[in-house]
Amino acid sequence: MRRRTYLKTAGAATIAGLAGCAATPTGNGTDRPPRATIDGTPSGTLTVATYSSFTGEGTAGNYLKQAFEDEYPNVTVEFTVPANGVNQYIQRKRSGASIDADLYVGINTDDLVRADAELDDSLFMHSQDYLDRKDALKPALEIDPQGRAVPYDTGYISLVYDESAIDAPATFDDLLDPTYEDSLITQNAQQSDPGKAFLLWTIDAKGEDGYLDYWADLLDNGVQILDDWQPAYNAYMNEEAPMVVSYSTDQVFYGADADLTRHQIGFIEDQGYANPETMARFEATDQPALARLFMDFILQPEVQGQVAERNVQFPAVTDAQLDETFAELAHEPPEAVTFTYDQLQGKVDTWTDEWARQVASK
Amino acid sequence: MMSRWVERAALPVGVLATLATLAVVFYYPVATVLAEAVLDAGSPTLGPLLDVLSDPFYTGVAHHLFVDPLGVPAGLLDWIARGFPDVRLGLFGFTAYQAALSTVASVVLGLPGAYVLSRYDFRGRRTLRALTIVPFVLPSIMVAVGFVAMFGRTGLLNDVLTGLGLGRVELLYTLEAIIVAHAFYNAPLVTRLVTTAWESVDRRQVESARAMGASPLSAFRDVVLPAILPSLLTAALLTFVFTFMSFPIVLALGDLRLATVEVWVFARVQALDLSEAATLATLETVLSLALTYLYLRYEARQRSTSGAGQSLPRKSLTVGWQTLRSPTRLAIFAYGVVAVVVFVGPLLSLLVESVTAPDGSFTTAYYEFLLAQQASTAVGTTRPLPAIVNSIVYGVGTLALAVPMGVVVAILATRGGRGSRLAEAILTAPLAVSGIVVGLGLLQTMVFGTVLFGYRLTAAGPIAIVAAHAAAAYPFVTRNVAPALGGLDSRYRDAARSLGATRLRALLEIELPLIGAAVLAGAAFAFAISVGEFDSTVLLAEGVDSYTMPVALERYVNNRSLGPNLGPATAMGTVLLLVTGLSFVAIDRLGGRWEP
Repeated sequence: MRRRTYLKTAGAATIAGLAGCAATPTGNGTDRPPRATIDGTPSGTLTVATYSSFTGEGTAGNYLKQAFEDEYPNVTVEFTVPANGVNQYIQRKRSGASIDADLYVGINTDDLVRADAELDDSLFMHSQDYLDRKDALKPALEIDPQGRAVPYDTGYISLVYDESAIDAPATFDDLLDPTYEDSLITQNAQQSDPGKAFLLWTIDAKGEDGYLDYWADLLDNGVQILDDWQPAYNAYMNEEAPMVVSYSTDQVFYGADADLTRHQIGFIEDQGYANPETMARFEATDQPALARLFMDFILQPEVQGQVAERNVQFPAVTDAQLDETFAELAHEPPEAVTFTYDQLQGKVDTWTDEWARQVASK
Repeated sequence: MMSRWVERAALPVGVLATLATLAVVFYYPVATVLAEAVLDAGSPTLGPLLDVLSDPFYTGVAHHLFVDPLGVPAGLLDWIARGFPDVRLGLFGFTAYQAALSTVASVVLGLPGAYVLSRYDFRGRRTLRALTIVPFVLPSIMVAVGFVAMFGRTGLLNDVLTGLGLGRVELLYTLEAIIVAHAFYNAPLVTRLVTTAWESVDRRQVESARAMGASPLSAFRDVVLPAILPSLLTAALLTFVFTFMSFPIVLALGDLRLATVEVWVFARVQALDLSEAATLATLETVLSLALTYLYLRYEARQRSTSGAGQSLPRKSLTVGWQTLRSPTRLAIFAYGVVAVVVFVGPLLSLLVESVTAPDGSFTTAYYEFLLAQQASTAVGTTRPLPAIVNSIVYGVGTLALAVPMGVVVAILATRGGRGSRLAEAILTAPLAVSGIVVGLGLLQTMVFGTVLFGYRLTAAGPIAIVAAHAAAAYPFVTRNVAPALGGLDSRYRDAARSLGATRLRALLEIELPLIGAAVLAGAAFAFAISVGEFDSTVLLAEGVDSYTMPVALERYVNNRSLGPNLGPATAMGTVLLLVTGLSFVAIDRLGGRWEP
């Protein structure tokens, strides 16, 4: 069986699936609540749970708060930044503690898989079909078969390399060549998003039964596996190795006028691994309509352009208004691959664990 | 008399208050997590423990003990017959191995420092002694930045080495790098603890030994060594326990190939596989506590009585041109060079990084970033000044809470009697429990709340943070104070008591002033633990306004407004170094009047 499935086809299947079972409760025991509506002027406080670099001076979060509050003067947007991300809410729900937030911004596919695996009732509620902007979404980024998590941007995992030191490897097998000995830094898939994406990319390329053998060879060829993106990138910038696993938007940080020798983007197999970031309303929210309004707001063409540029990611809608320089410096892979929710379900933990055990046993 | 009644009640109340605080911010939270290791849906089980112990990935060759205990002798003979080939260590074995090497390195690097600081006099000695503790508070990501800039392929050390025509070294991402980084953190612990003990050696005892004809060497062996050995072993034990549970530094400077048990605990918690995480953490804790218990039994036997007299006289470090003809002094300078490379090198590199742009040019952009954050009115902005103020306030609060707690436990420990070693070992548990588990426990019990009488009680914010820091910090006070208190001649106290002083008055007015140096060292550690603490602070920092310097630094690590570099974080790291450095000097100066 060919394991690689592109999100495009999966997305289409998902929509068909949803249409087919719209009259019956969807999986995971969740009934779809009716579309919440607002009578009169939107008002109240919307609590948005997110990760720390989404808020603060100059961020996408700060822009969203300002713009949303300008649009709806009776609304206040508040951010909350739990130290352990989505896990905080999975654990809260499991122990019966209150959720205290209306929606979560920054959910990965495997976060959603884990939330569903850990809980009997879904942590999040359906949103997608109720969004005015649902048709503008890029189908390839729709990760949730149940339409709860809706993408707002995506990154593509790629190599960043120093063209004065090395040529980009064309294939995964090239990385095993002596030319690339001690040349690559990646991240621990147990705790780093790009590290996990790179591992999944190799599983996509080498198959569930072949990836561990591939990694054994990669380790023999001197790949370095550091704990997270920041130390890995810092090590790359200090010339510890001429290649690092990172994002294909790297050049945006430096601008067209900078020397981009050390910021070349390498798409192995002419691919990049898509890592969509999604948002979802908590089942426990008492502001479902306001939260939906906020989600639709994030998907407006102008707002999408701002979110993408400030978050240094690609927009999730087809009609985003992007700055020209951004479009020029942010490279999109010829082909995007990613595992769908259904493919990761029941698998991703085992894959990661077996990989980590193999590495640590070296 | 009322006040006398209060004085009598003070110690028992102190004991109860200490135990109550620990129960709320340590024992109960940790128990809720570790229970997952031995409970399955409420009923006791050994399943998870046996699963881990019989898994060769975790226990290596030792898994045979749990899979096939009867086959072990035959296997052992077979191994001998095959000429002792390498055996698989497993995750626990490797973790212990790197911890043992790290402990040796920390002692080798820290002990000469204690010798110099306690036996020689030179300008800035007291300041240097106060600053030895600074590496202790540095977040691991900053140590990683400093190490890459100092020991990396294009780092300062290689620049110097190639400049001298000595070739270059590839140190990063090896076991050696982790060991040096562990020594960077823990050698100061050795230096600090041993210096305190060495300075408390009574000069009269050495002088009378010499007067009775002992050679300098045998005077050292019979008088000085017994006095400093307990503190040296305490430091070695603490270093072993810390490096056994080391986590962020291993992956920041090593590689996943060099993973420790704690790395797995974290990964299991991330995957919400709490049962396996709890099992691994339980085994870590059992091993650490067993070592602590064995050590405490040893220490209790070793306690030598000492009076409190004058310290040994210090020699001058420099004696003009004669300095160059003194082998000891030359060796000290050679040690100084090594110490500068290992300790000052990374810190200085961090400072240089904070004013260096990605292209290598000089920049003040990162400090301007800090000022801009301070001036910003945007919500969610992390401002440096509140972080500094919070860190100092929590640090002082921790010190104020942890010192009495530590002293109370030290009194319990030195009182002797059945089971007091065991009680002390259990009371030392905050040192022996994985930080990840403590954080998870606090999250489950205090942040999510605990249901009592139908109400869900939650606690977070400054008071919870200080209490959690004090629980982590008081064992350092105890470990400094207990040996000194135990070593104190009981006649001082007995004399005071026979003159009618209460136990509290004897303690406050006679005993503690006599061991002021140990109390002061404990206080400095308490402050350091609080300032450097990250895991529970970030969980208990309610809302956005209770963040501390390490929390702010972590947020700046993820701030991309100046591009994907660690510049803003290194600027905050430098601020952290300056603020804590000044604080330690201030603690030393303020506490100095207490010293004999």
